[in-house]
Formats: sequence, structure tokens, C-alpha cells
Amino acid sequence: MAMEHFTSAIKGAFAILSERVNGASNGTLHTTRKNALANLIEAGMPTPRHEEWKYTNLAPLLANDFLPAIGPSLPVTSSILEGLPFADLDAWRIVLVNGVLQRELSALPTDSTTITIEEFSENSPVGQIASTASYPFVAVNTSLLWGGVVVRIQANAIVHKPIHVCSIVQTDVGNTLSMPRILVQVEHHSSCTLIETHHTVGRSKGLSASVTEIDCAEGSSVAYTKILDDGPNGHHIGTTAVNIARAAKAMATTACLDGTFVRNDLVMRLNEPSAEAYLYGVSVLNDTQVADNHTVVDHAAPHCHSEELYKGLYDGRSVGVFNGKIFVRQDAQKTTAYQSNHSLLLSDNAVVNAKPQLEIWADDVKCSHGATSGQLNEEAVFYLQSRGIGKDEARGLLTYAFAAEVADHIKHDEVREWIEHRIAEKLGARQFDH
Amino acid sequence: MTTTPLLQITDLHAGIEGREILKGISLTVRAGEVHAIMGPNGSGKSTMASVLAGREEYQVTSGSISFNGKDILEMSPEDRAREGVFMAFQYPVEIPGVSTANFVKTAVQEMRKHRGLPPLEPAAFLALMREKMKLVEMDQQFLSRSLNEGFSGGEKKRNEIFQMAMLDPALAVLDETDSGLDIDALRIVAEGVNTLRTKDNAVVVITHYQRLLNYIVPDVVHVIWNGRIVRSGGKELAFELEEKGYDWIKNESPAEV
Repeated sequence: MAMEHFTSAIKGAFAILSERVNGASNGTLHTTRKNALANLIEAGMPTPRHEEWKYTNLAPLLANDFLPAIGPSLPVTSSILEGLPFADLDAWRIVLVNGVLQRELSALPTDSTTITIEEFSENSPVGQIASTASYPFVAVNTSLLWGGVVVRIQANAIVHKPIHVCSIVQTDVGNTLSMPRILVQVEHHSSCTLIETHHTVGRSKGLSASVTEIDCAEGSSVAYTKILDDGPNGHHIGTTAVNIARAAKAMATTACLDGTFVRNDLVMRLNEPSAEAYLYGVSVLNDTQVADNHTVVDHAAPHCHSEELYKGLYDGRSVGVFNGKIFVRQDAQKTTAYQSNHSLLLSDNAVVNAKPQLEIWADDVKCSHGATSGQLNEEAVFYLQSRGIGKDEARGLLTYAFAAEVADHIKHDEVREWIEHRIAEKLGARQFDH
Repeated sequence: MTTTPLLQITDLHAGIEGREILKGISLTVRAGEVHAIMGPNGSGKSTMASVLAGREEYQVTSGSISFNGKDILEMSPEDRAREGVFMAFQYPVEIPGVSTANFVKTAVQEMRKHRGLPPLEPAAFLALMREKMKLVEMDQQFLSRSLNEGFSGGEKKRNEIFQMAMLDPALAVLDETDSGLDIDALRIVAEGVNTLRTKDNAVVVITHYQRLLNYIVPDVVHVIWNGRIVRSGGKELAFELEEKGYDWIKNESPAEV
């Protein structure tokens, strides 16, 4: 019931939005919306019988009757940003409230020759990277696409200042569904750092169905970090889809640090020779938190390289999922693709489901995957104790070191240190002295 | 003149999973001394080291261990370490994600805190690490590498002695530190230990073979067999064992009761 109710709410919101569109109802963008809604209605909401949703049942989540919201439900002031991370970071800042850009809260470039940030127009090439047919929540987002932004990094530009997308679900009027949408066009031989954070602000529950599309042109380079560190009202189902062209390099780090429910779909397509993809993930969960990470690395061209490392620490009755697919298409000879996934179970009641999937059609490739799950190595704990480090502290240090290995890959100092600090804080562990 | 022994083990009985391995060990070690514990495999040598260091899976059923006059059987492994007991592991553990430098720094600061000393300043700490690394001929690059990860057998053992040098224990127990070492590594490790000897500390060398004792010369050699010390003597006892083999001890010692 909850599932049908959710789909009808999207249909209802689409009808209202269609009236707003007015004269542009046959434009590119509205056609994209209509097609997305058709995909959504045809496929419906996924149940655990759906292979990609096997470990995560959406019915209890969608029973919260989230109502789609486009833009703030109440007037927004800068107080909505209080306590949110990276407020002091020198960054281009894109603040979205219920999916709609808030110019007065953002820090946008006005006359930069290297970067432009603009709201979608009816002709924006949005929806070409993330698939509405395969990803039901991309269909949800795309059906109600409104108010998101296009970030364009000009060719040959090195943008040093990070771009921080701060997406807020404002839930003061009731359980709210928000659909933030970003398209990042990284033109040839340019480079940038993107940070994406999601927050729920208000008394009721929030669900953000976010979509980020990143197009990396030839020779470009992107470092993307997505942080889920929301409060107990926070729920998130987000998709990030990245196309990587010749000799371009994309690195994505996904940190699930807090919030009740998180599902991330990360899709990296290596479309042309010599493309590189790096996928890192860390989940630190407790209580009844859920973090479900699905990744796809699609090697469609020869001489490409991908590396993937996901780690999870699960305490309480938390549930972690890692499903990592690697496709190596027939043309993708000389591919090197490595995946590893390691989990630490910190309580007897925590659960992790790990599923590596490699599908290889090319015959001259190097691919590997490895997955482990278990408890902390007690011999290592004793080793630390024998050097005068207390048992609890030894456990904390080892647990922290396990998780922090992922953060090590983040090159931006402030972002890496922030994540390390939050991992230590959540584990109640001290970091090793530096 | 008699002083309180540094280590006094009295009629120690201990075992694992209900099986008694140590069947009445008594041993007195005074400051400034080097003791060697020798014996065939399975005689109880490593169990003794484990019980001293406080491994939880071993149960002490009777007897006592006092260190500097304090009963250490009631202490956690970390408290024993803070009191000045150091064990060089037979199999040092690999710990990915923790650099050797950060690990040693954390341990040293814990010790200093326990001894009521202020934390070492970063520059002083770095200088101390450099000095102690030279002692065991370790390259600086080991400091930034994950602890023991991918280290060779010899590098791991040298790292143990480096940690000993940094922590400056009153009693060092070297658990088969010579196993798996080539002659150069053996010499480096032994010279490191010798440099660290003072009149105020003591070393207990646990070994199967006599060769390490050419470098770390013991004051007393004990032979352990079937959970008991069956013979004690000077350093010449080690040579006698080397020559005659452990069967000599086994044949001369009372069989299991």
C-alpha cells in the first residue's frame, strides 16, 4: 500500500508541476520528466524481490507518507544553515532547499572565467547520464525535476576552490520528499573538487531522492566526496552517475556517517580508452541505521583502470550492504579493475550483506575482488595493550584505523580531516597521535 | 646485600583451556641480570612469556609473580607494560592503517602519562625516534609505513627492539626473538639489546638455541622441561645443551608424574 501511495503522490505532484511549466510543456526538459514518470509508473517501487533491492525493504520507509516538495515550504533564512558542516570552508556553495537553489544562501561565481553555476533551463542536457529506466529513484527525481543546477567547469580550467553542494530537506510542515539535482560538466582538461552533503532540518522526517550527474570530458579530473551525516530524521536514496571520457579521471568517496537510512547508487562508466575511476566508501553505523551502497563500474573501452575500496563498521543492530558490480565489455581489453570490501562487525546483532559481482566479456584483462567480514583482531588488541595502551583505547584506535584507511585517499585536507574527525567521534575513539 | 628482586616468580602453575602447561615454575631475576630460558618445543617457554605479559587466554591456577614488589597477576596487560614489563613478540602483529611512528608515539605518551611525565614535544620525539632507529639499523622509511605490514621477519624483530628502546622497560622478555633471523639480523638485534642494558634493568631471553647467547651473554641459564625448571647454571650450561641436545635433559629429568 505504502508503495502505491508513494507513486500516486509523485503523479499528483507531476500534475501540479505540469501546470507551472506552461508554454514549455513540449520542451526538452518536460519531455524528460514525462518519460521518467512513464518509467516510474511502469516499474513501480522496487520490492525485495527486485535484485537490486534484495537486502533493503522500502515498505517501512515509504509508510512515512513523504509528500514531495519543490522548494521551501516555509520562508528560509540563513539560520537554516546553522550547525551544518563546512560553513567556514572557502568554497563555491550551492544551497538547495527541497531541491531548489537558494541564491541568497549560496556563494556562486558571478564573473568567473573558469566556472559557472546556473539553474536548469528548459534546454539543459539533464538526464543523459543517470538512467530513469534502471533506477526507480532517478525516475522519481526526474519526474519532478525543478530548481537544480548545472555546474560547468570551463575547458583547461583548474578550479582550486571546492564546490560544496549543501542539500537540505526542510520538514517543518510534515514528512517531506525532496529531489535535489545537479549536473556537473567538467570540460576537457579541467579539474575540480566537489563536496555533496545532505541534511534534514525540521521536526518531521525527510527523504532526499538525489541525483548527481557528472560528465568528465577528455583529460579532465574530478574529486567527488559525498557525505551522509544526517540526524535521526534523515533518509536518503541518492544516485551519482559519472561518464568518464578519454584519459579522464574520476574519484568518488562516499562516507555514510549518520542518519537513519541511506541508499547510494554510484555508477562509473569508463567510455573511452585510458579513463580511470576510483571508488572509495566508508560506513560507520550504530543503532538501527541502514547504509546500502550499490556501485557499478562499467568498463566499455580498452586500457582503462578502476580501483574500489569500501569499508564498513557496524555496531548495534545496524545493517550494511555492499553490492559492487564490475562490467568489462568485450571491447575493453587491457582493463585493470580491482575491488575490495571489508567489514568489521562490532556487535553480535549487526548485519552486513556483501556481494561482489564481476562480469567479464573481454579476455585480456586483470581483475580481482576480495571481501572480508569479521571482528577486530584480538591479537592486535593485545599487541597494543602490551605496549601500554588500554584495552578500550586499543580497540578504539584499531577500529578507527580500519575506517580511516578509506579517508586517506581524499586529497583535500579539510574534507579528509573533517571525515576523520567524525569517524573518531562516532566511534568514541581517540585518533592516533600525529 | 639483598635487594627486592625485579621479578620473583614463585611456584607458578598455569595453563590454557584446562590443560596445565607450567607446573611449578620459580624464578628470581635481579636488576642488572640477563637470564636465558631454554628448552625444547612445547616445554612451556612461550607460555611463561604469555603469562608474564598477561594474555587473557592463559589461566594461572596457583603461585605468584611479583614485579618490583607488586603482584602483577592482578594487573591488565597494559598496566604491566606501564609498570615496565616489555615483551618482544615471537610473531609481531601486522596492523594496517597504523603507521609505526604514530603507534610508537601513542605508546610512549601513554607510558609518560603513567609515570607522571609531560608529553614529549614533537621535535624531541622525532629526535628520540631517530636515535633509537639507528640502534637497530632501521631505515627512517619504516616510520611512515603501516606497523609491521609487509615487513620481513628480520625487520619485524628489529622493530620490536626499536619499541623496547623507545619504551625503556625495567624488564624485557624476548620471546624467541632469534627465530627466523639470519646472522646479520641476529647481530643487530643482540647489539641493540646489549646497548639498552643497564644496572637497573633486566632481560629474560627465551630461546630454543644457544646461538643468540653468543651475543647476549646470560648471567644465568635455566632449562625448562615439561613445565618445570629442571636445571639452572651459568652460561656454560647453554654450551652443554648445544653439545648434548635436549635429550640429555629429558633423560635425566623425572618423567611426568
